Amino acid sequence: MISYLVTVVIFVAIAALVGLALNLQWGLAGLVNFGVSGFVALGAYAVAITAPHVGWLAAMAFAALMCAGLSMLLSLLTIRLEENYLAIVTIGFGEIVRILLLNEGWLTGGALGISGIPRPFAGMTPAGWGDGVILVFAVVLVTAAFAFSEALVRSPFGRVLRAVRDDPTVTAALGKPVLALRVRAFAVGGAIMGLAGALHAFFLTYIDPSQFTPIITAYAFMAVIAGGRGSNLGLILGAGSIMLILEATRFLKDIIPWIDGVQLSALRLGMIGVGIVLMLILRPQGLVAEPKRRYGEFFPKDAAGPAPNRALAEGGKA
Amino acid sequence: MVAQLFLNGLVTGLLLALPALALTLIFGIMRFANFAVGALLTLGAYAGYLANVTFGLPLPMAAAFAALVVGLACVLCDELVFERLRERGSITLLVASMGVSLVIENICRFAFGNAARSFDLAVARPIRWNGIRINYEQMTTAGVVVVALILFHLLLSASPLGRAMRAVADNPSLAAVRGVERRTVARITWMLTGALIGIAGVLAGLDRAIDPLMGWNYQIPIFAAAILGGLGSPLGAVAGALLIGIAEEMSTLVLPPSYRQIVSFSVILLLLLFRTNGLFGAKAVRK
Repeated sequence: MISYLVTVVIFVAIAALVGLALNLQWGLAGLVNFGVSGFVALGAYAVAITAPHVGWLAAMAFAALMCAGLSMLLSLLTIRLEENYLAIVTIGFGEIVRILLLNEGWLTGGALGISGIPRPFAGMTPAGWGDGVILVFAVVLVTAAFAFSEALVRSPFGRVLRAVRDDPTVTAALGKPVLALRVRAFAVGGAIMGLAGALHAFFLTYIDPSQFTPIITAYAFMAVIAGGRGSNLGLILGAGSIMLILEATRFLKDIIPWIDGVQLSALRLGMIGVGIVLMLILRPQGLVAEPKRRYGEFFPKDAAGPAPNRALAEGGKA
Repeated sequence: MVAQLFLNGLVTGLLLALPALALTLIFGIMRFANFAVGALLTLGAYAGYLANVTFGLPLPMAAAFAALVVGLACVLCDELVFERLRERGSITLLVASMGVSLVIENICRFAFGNAARSFDLAVARPIRWNGIRINYEQMTTAGVVVVALILFHLLLSASPLGRAMRAVADNPSLAAVRGVERRTVARITWMLTGALIGIAGVLAGLDRAIDPLMGWNYQIPIFAAAILGGLGSPLGAVAGALLIGIAEEMSTLVLPPSYRQIVSFSVILLLLLFRTNGLFGAKAVRK
């Protein structure tokens, strides 16, 4: 039972990391990324391949950097196009990653995947403590990512990203480098997705391409929509409640005996789809709406300067 | 060998032409790329399977049934989801269409399970002609698609309905001033595009096994075809589909067959880099 709970918490942590990253790209900067599963997979494989040789910390740094670099390239390719095209390119990217992982067996083990990935601190802890250590590790990682995202939202960078999202033309007219900002936001999001993949690899210690289906992308979108676009606190709640619902519905089989395993999984996945659509229609601001940030939050009263007008005072539309 | 691959590519391209055309028509009227196109294709294949195997209808009847089912499904999705979100911009619609895609795929999985299925067909010997092998499924696909495309072209270019559809795609406000109602035209467009996707689903079911994820294999080539033709251009979509189909099959000369999808993806990337308007127009660059 304990190990089951640990598993659930770590899955929540992974979903929260992926969600935070997507919230940064889509919620904050308005860049839709349908290739989330591809970035997570890349992060996981980068760690799986390098960790045995260079240690966990360097491997994680490598995973984050690689995903950031690829995000950068992908966004540079597409970022001057309409949202529709960015979405198409990213969904294509996710598929290509999966195909490459399946077919480049010399590096990735093909469909068999990679096993025996060393966990962080594995050598320093007594036997049987492995799950506890990885649990602490996951919580620390999510807390750090959350703190980082919150700091980012409040920073000048976060402010200008919201401006880009809400009206790129006005932002460009104010002299902000819209393209560079978008590329940077996409890269930071990609790096966090890579870290989520790394956590996934460390926890399971065994990865194969079937673990990284587009369903990861759907969960991430569901988490961001449920939590409220642009709201990090809402996102943690959203990711947590989705995983809770997914886990709780596992036990539906005991209540509805005539349903078989495949039907149950279809029902649970279909529910995520229904959830996405219903939330978009009925509660677009999510569980916790993005806070309206006012001028005073960034520049306290005693700071000098003329009173700003209302349009400037609001960091962005909700 | 080359001629055989060219022929296979042509048939693959014809199969892609119907959903690519559907995608581009919907883009014209609703201004978003409908990610549910793959899942709708799967739904069409299962509807055909239901009619053909469960009810024992002949294949043409099954295709008509599939066209009807997917057409109605499209109208329903529009009514319940897309129309309600239309004012919120294309990103919201995109994300919603991903949700819809998940729902449709899992309705199919719930009803039919994960096992691969196929139509109830007599096995026919392929025809050999100058060393090229042409099988019965390929001829059916080519024939059905060509007829459907000609009918659709006539509808778009020579009927009042086609004129109304083009008018709404071009400028909805101006069309409304002239008494063309966007809502009615949109419903009819959804119905027609659904029918196209449904037929394509049955043809895809002839080509490969029917399973809940079959639509995914077509998703990227369909988008590549529509972008190649310039999103929003019907003729372009058909031309793009043929080119993508041929390019995918021809690539097996130099690449392992499992990398065929990479060809479509590279085509998308190259186009977006060098010719953002596709081969036939349609603006892609952000204003």
